[in-house]
Amino acid sequence: MKKKASSRQISEFIWGWIFILPTMAGLIILNIYPMIDTIKQSFFKAGDFGKGNEFVGLKNYEKVLLDGEIWQALWNTAKYAIVEVPVSIVIALLLANLLNKRLKGRDTFRTIFFLPMVVAPAAVAMVWKWLYNSNFGLINNVFNIKVNWISDPKIAIYSIAVIGIWSVLGYNMVLFLAGLQEVPRDYYEAASLDGANGLQQLLHITIPLISPTIFFVLVTRIIAAMQVFDLIYMLIDLNNPAWKKTESLVYLFYKYSFEQSKKGYGATVVVLLLAVILILTVIQLIGQKKWVHYE
Amino acid sequence: MKKRVIAILLSALTAVSIVGCAGAGAAAPAADAGSAEAVEEEAEAAPAEEEAAPDSIGSSVEGELSITIWDEGQREGLQKIVDKWSEESGIKATIQVVDWNNYWTLLEAGATGGELPDVFWMHSNVAQKYMENDMLLDLTDRIASSDKIDMSNYYEGIVNLYQSDGKQYAVPKDIDTIALWYNKTIFDEMGVPYPDDTWTWEDFAENAKKLTNDEHWGYAIAPGNNQEGYYNTIYSMGGYVISDDKKTSGMDDPNSIKAVKLFTDMIAEGSCPDLATVSETAPNELLSAGKVAMSINGSWMLAGYRDNEYTAENCDVAVLPYTSSPDDRVSIYNGLGWAASANGKNTDAAWSLIEYLGSKEAQIEQAELGVTMSAYKGTSDSWVNSVSCFDLNGHMKMLDAKLVFRPYSRDTTVWEDMMIEKLQDAWTGDKPVEDVCKDIAEEMNAALAEE
Repeated sequence: MKKKASSRQISEFIWGWIFILPTMAGLIILNIYPMIDTIKQSFFKAGDFGKGNEFVGLKNYEKVLLDGEIWQALWNTAKYAIVEVPVSIVIALLLANLLNKRLKGRDTFRTIFFLPMVVAPAAVAMVWKWLYNSNFGLINNVFNIKVNWISDPKIAIYSIAVIGIWSVLGYNMVLFLAGLQEVPRDYYEAASLDGANGLQQLLHITIPLISPTIFFVLVTRIIAAMQVFDLIYMLIDLNNPAWKKTESLVYLFYKYSFEQSKKGYGATVVVLLLAVILILTVIQLIGQKKWVHYE
Repeated sequence: MKKRVIAILLSALTAVSIVGCAGAGAAAPAADAGSAEAVEEEAEAAPAEEEAAPDSIGSSVEGELSITIWDEGQREGLQKIVDKWSEESGIKATIQVVDWNNYWTLLEAGATGGELPDVFWMHSNVAQKYMENDMLLDLTDRIASSDKIDMSNYYEGIVNLYQSDGKQYAVPKDIDTIALWYNKTIFDEMGVPYPDDTWTWEDFAENAKKLTNDEHWGYAIAPGNNQEGYYNTIYSMGGYVISDDKKTSGMDDPNSIKAVKLFTDMIAEGSCPDLATVSETAPNELLSAGKVAMSINGSWMLAGYRDNEYTAENCDVAVLPYTSSPDDRVSIYNGLGWAASANGKNTDAAWSLIEYLGSKEAQIEQAELGVTMSAYKGTSDSWVNSVSCFDLNGHMKMLDAKLVFRPYSRDTTVWEDMMIEKLQDAWTGDKPVEDVCKDIAEEMNAALAEE
């Protein structure tokens, strides 16, 4: 037998919806509608100025699957993510751990590590471009070496990943610091009484207890890393020999949609990226059961 | 409970952030535009100051003319000319500047939504697309009945560029020329006489070698320097990039290959920096840093060189070399056009302004004020005196050289980008120039067939 909702429940229901309405409206107009429209566009060959779109069925998808440039871009993006995500998480975790202790000038350090997050990506890229310059750059001149950091096809994508790591370190660190606040002090006291050293405490107390935060950072960072665009756009141009080995999927999307006005094909590239990220995220959501501990 | 909440939150976040892509892609270049080295190097020099990101291209409002351009450096001069027109016509007109990258994104959005400024600049990259879709006001009849505008007064290539189906959609505004910029200090140091109108391309290569030592190179060129590089030598040596009917590529023509080889040989010899160097530091930046003795640049670079203390002090400009006689001295040129919105609210006023801007009087003033050289033949002489630190005759005299319009087709960027990518192998010497050029011609023919 179905219980009839009390008037209090109904009023809560209505007010609940009213409260989330502004957010919902924003999401639908700015995110969900464009998402559906993008997927729709991927089945069309775009005409000029939004007129004369021509339905081509799965043709764009066939072309994407056979396009070597797209797979190369996917591989470039993956390489970037494989380096950027784990390294930035490990370093941020260690830093957060350190800066969670009572330390002189702790706030100063926290601020310094968070600073890159506040700077505009374009400015970050310009400074690093100069640091990396093989003839006149600071790095090569200080160490007196001759490495083509951003024009050697073999290492350019990793050089870019280093900038990515530097940029997100502060953000990851702040999230971890927040997670660390929730770990009760007495666990550590008990552990040190039992003779556990710093490393053992980190591995057996800290990491398991903040594993939900680590999981959150991991998932969001992978999503963000798969969407890398601005750093590459700023650092690498058509003249660069590393061009083909650094182009990311979003870069290709930009190239097709905005430089060559092939909006339909550009949309298809983004849908492919969406599929890849969805798969990666689903795998992580399943995998988390093995290592993430919720209280 | 907490677990489920996080899981739901994450899935939502995934979906949302991805699609954010579509929006982010469009917004990202906007943020980068100011400090980015213009992807389109052939573009008019980007304004030095970063503008606040604009959110509209401007729209047509009754009773007042809106004008949109992308070069901050030209605003002041042009506004003076426009003000004179306002005095005559009694209609207020203001110029809005939107930087190069945003300009095209916003103009396209404006065209799609039917909101274009009354008067704006057109460029060879996209002109065909705008004309074919009737976005621009058809000026043919108005020009025919005008006593101020006669298309035969302007450089032919620019006039043709803004024609489609026998109709004229824009009035030529300006013209650019390519010339040889050089560093006087390095020339003095190495005891080489300054370049003049007697130089051949052979002399150029020979002298570049003499100007090279451990501190600096003779000359620098990147695969992207087409209008400011190999396009000039290709046409000077009798080759071509694209056939007149825009159906076939001329990159496999023996003369075209020879013209590209001139530069790749210089790289192999060491009188030009290698690909890695020019891909990290553009040739004009190398010139500004005193690292190369010569750089081939378009007249749109003038403002940048003038405002740079080092180049203003040490550099000057001369005409480009020729191949076998001064008659084959070539300058690849391009020019902007003044166009009006097809469905603006003030089309009559818009035409009146364009007519004024294209008139001999306004074209002379444009050159006098040092805005740019003008598209109206014979009105640019006073431009030479607009800057005191360089002898602008280098650029000016290129107007008397063989002027070849910048090669284009409907989708120029598709094959042009492909060409730049492929030329990298010729730059590094990984593949012989002949093979690279033949490969380019083949792909370019395929791209042209698709247009």
